[in-house]
Amino acid sequence: ASRDARLLRAVDTHPDGYPTVEAVKHMGELLAQRSGGRLAIEHYAGGVLGQERDALEITIFGGIDLNRVNLAPLNPIVPETVVPGLPFLFSSTQHMRSAMDGEPGRRILDALEPHGLIGLCFYDSGGRSFYTTERLIEEPEDLAGLKIRVQSSDLFVEMVSALGGNPTPMDFGEVYQGLMQGTVDGAENNWPSYESTRHFEVAPYYSETRHVMAPEILTMSAISWDRLSEDDRALIRQCAQDSVPYMRGLWDAKVEQSRAAVVASGVRVANPEISAFQQRVQPVWDRFVATPDMRALVADIQALDPAL
Amino acid sequence: MSVLSRFLSRMSLWFSAFGLVMMTAIIGWQVVARYLLANAPAWAEQAALFLMLWFILFAAAAGVREGFHIRLSILQDSLAEGRRQLMAIACHAIVGAFGIAMAYGGAQLVVETWEHTIPTLGLPRGLSYVPLAVAGVIIAFFAGEHILAERKGSKVEPLWS
Amino acid sequence: MELTVLLLLLAVLLAIGVPVAFALGAASVATFLLLDIPVVVAFQRMAASMNVFTLMAIPFFVFAGDLMARTGIAERLVRVAEGAFGRARGGLGQVDVGASMMFGAVSGSAVASVSAMGSTLMPMMKEKGYDADYAVNVTITAAILGILIPPSHNMIIYAAASPVSVSVGDLFLAGIVPGLLAGAALMFVAWRVAIRRGYPGGTFPGWRSFTKSLIAAFPGLMTALIIVFGILLGVFTPTESSAVAVIYTIVIGVLVYRSLGYIAFVEAASSAVRTTAMVMLIIGTAGMFGWLFALLHGPEMLSGGLTAVSQDPAVIMLMILLVLLVLGAFMDMAPLIIITTPIFLPVAVATGVDPVHFGIIMMLSLGIGLVTPPVGSVLFVGCAVGQAKPEQVVRTIWPFYLALMIVLLLVAYLPSLSLWLPEQFN
Ligand code: NA
Ligand code: NA
Repeated sequence: ASRDARLLRAVDTHPDGYPTVEAVKHMGELLAQRSGGRLAIEHYAGGVLGQERDALEITIFGGIDLNRVNLAPLNPIVPETVVPGLPFLFSSTQHMRSAMDGEPGRRILDALEPHGLIGLCFYDSGGRSFYTTERLIEEPEDLAGLKIRVQSSDLFVEMVSALGGNPTPMDFGEVYQGLMQGTVDGAENNWPSYESTRHFEVAPYYSETRHVMAPEILTMSAISWDRLSEDDRALIRQCAQDSVPYMRGLWDAKVEQSRAAVVASGVRVANPEISAFQQRVQPVWDRFVATPDMRALVADIQALDPAL
Repeated sequence: MSVLSRFLSRMSLWFSAFGLVMMTAIIGWQVVARYLLANAPAWAEQAALFLMLWFILFAAAAGVREGFHIRLSILQDSLAEGRRQLMAIACHAIVGAFGIAMAYGGAQLVVETWEHTIPTLGLPRGLSYVPLAVAGVIIAFFAGEHILAERKGSKVEPLWS
Repeated sequence: MELTVLLLLLAVLLAIGVPVAFALGAASVATFLLLDIPVVVAFQRMAASMNVFTLMAIPFFVFAGDLMARTGIAERLVRVAEGAFGRARGGLGQVDVGASMMFGAVSGSAVASVSAMGSTLMPMMKEKGYDADYAVNVTITAAILGILIPPSHNMIIYAAASPVSVSVGDLFLAGIVPGLLAGAALMFVAWRVAIRRGYPGGTFPGWRSFTKSLIAAFPGLMTALIIVFGILLGVFTPTESSAVAVIYTIVIGVLVYRSLGYIAFVEAASSAVRTTAMVMLIIGTAGMFGWLFALLHGPEMLSGGLTAVSQDPAVIMLMILLVLLVLGAFMDMAPLIIITTPIFLPVAVATGVDPVHFGIIMMLSLGIGLVTPPVGSVLFVGCAVGQAKPEQVVRTIWPFYLALMIVLLLVAYLPSLSLWLPEQFN
């Protein structure tokens, strides 16, 4: 193991100032402090070193040390990462946090290792909700006939179909124009993205379905990991863990601020009753929870539900 | 070698042109299907993207033989024949070396991402990197042909203009 | 140190005549080795840079343009243009600018614009005795207008990259006046240069003949209308519209003009494939290069020196313009927007610049970068389509650069040019 000072390259597609970016920078400060300057983090925000899926591959190849990604680009690589993205799996933010901080979260982090990645910790990503150009979604029937933009993901396509909408995979860069010109009638995302993409300008009806509450994940390249001593690995794990409460503080403030900003600009908000939505997505669960490991994970997460 | 080279160039062109036509059909279908069927085909975007790498890289490789890649030729044009020839050989050698690196890097990409799947298509991600490896080999081959021709004092005759 | 190696290596390889795509690639791969980063990363960057959905507009618009050229659509369009601008000297240059503005109002992609306008108008210009370099100069500089005239996906990228809140709607409105201004400036230059070079002015063919040419060109003109209204009414996205243009052109080539046979079709496809491959390979290896440039802190080093020099807002603005133009010389537009917006916008806002106004400055200055060597995708597509050498094109492009620079200075120092229109709507 190397005893030289080591600078870890971290990437994020979110810009500077975004909670995940600031959390990893905070982790870098902790790391520098606790290692006496032997370890530090150099942060590249704003996707300058590639979009999520690409940066993830580069991380696996050892070109990047630390990478904050959504779970979606990990789905085709690590099946277990599909589970936290199941629609309506978590009943609340608290439920998601206790599951990810606990045993189920640890099992998902461990599942990354055979694929050249080390899972360090989870960060919040809020709840994804539907927004449309013409009406609030109060019940699944309101989605009927609406073209909803989804990411290029089988899970999201199936979910929107199951809810009665017409899933329309569309490149992220074309969504604003697509909403403005009616190529799609709606899309779905969390409050901060809804604000930063400016989609609220053209689709001012936001319905808090919070259908997917998948967290984000901080990963490290296994190639970089293998070059470190046992002590340094433990230190990195600890600093990553310690950046989580810091991130959540920033995140909660960010959600409040985004929500207040778009509401002030005239966006209308609905808080639909989600049980009708939940029932409709059962076939999606049946299809995507494919292995006994995944089924066990789902059961363990459900058992943690504070509402039960 | 020259027969093989002409065959490779022609095949790359046909293959690429076919890929472009298929891409057009897929995106066209995506638009039509959105209106004819309730659901737009989820696979269309990824399938067209998948085809794009194949057709670009094969045509780009053939472009090395055909010499259509844009370059600044002022310096070479201003040199005497002997020196120009040396410089031209150096350039082809650099292109060839890049081709070899591309074949190597591409092959590594294929292997390392074979277990990943392309969403909505279900194909191995590695498959989309195969053209990188194949085109890299073809580029190195064509660069070699140019070097041999330069040394004989001749030129590789372009096939498609 | 590594950054110096990368830039020097690129300069040497370009100078000795290595094709641009391979010079970018070889310089980058060598630097990856020097940095001890696995080479596989370089090729991941290359593939990922080419594998972008919105880039599909390039092959499709090139293909549509090649088909239009082979089915006689472009020829009929130009006959109409000749009727309209028949008497003006160098009238085709102005037709080119005007058509690019209209096309830009549809697509927002400068590369698509140069592909479509270039493959239809350039052959016509050459036929009328215009030099290839002039045809390329006009077409590529006019292609930038589509970035300013809405819709423009680059403005959306800017709004997303901005650390402060910027309205895309305001950006769209703000681009219109500067876009028209730049168009007028380019038309003026196209006209002056045409006079100096003695390009022909035609004679007006008479109303009867003009109307006839208009009717003959109608199905071709419909292409533009279908794209405009298709996008505006939300029938398809701008990228999809490029594929629709291909299919529509095939349909009228076969059914209406009956001029598109199997051979012409195959020729058009292979020609499109060739142009596309050349451009996209540069985009791919420029992706490797851009990754290293960002990794080695190229953009930050440039901006760091900036605020150290002066605190005067006017001077800082001038320096930002210079840095953006220099960066634009080496990198492509979208990654530069993402990289430089968070660096420069706070500096600009601190000196009192409106974020919407700054967005328009970014669009124009980085847009100019698309037509400057050594890395300029629009420049190279233009050269490929017009079959002109880049060094020859760059030698005579100065009047056009000058016009764009003057417009850039006006836009930068007269905020109301950008902000007046959005203010009328708010
Ligand atoms: Na535009
Ligand atoms: Na440039």
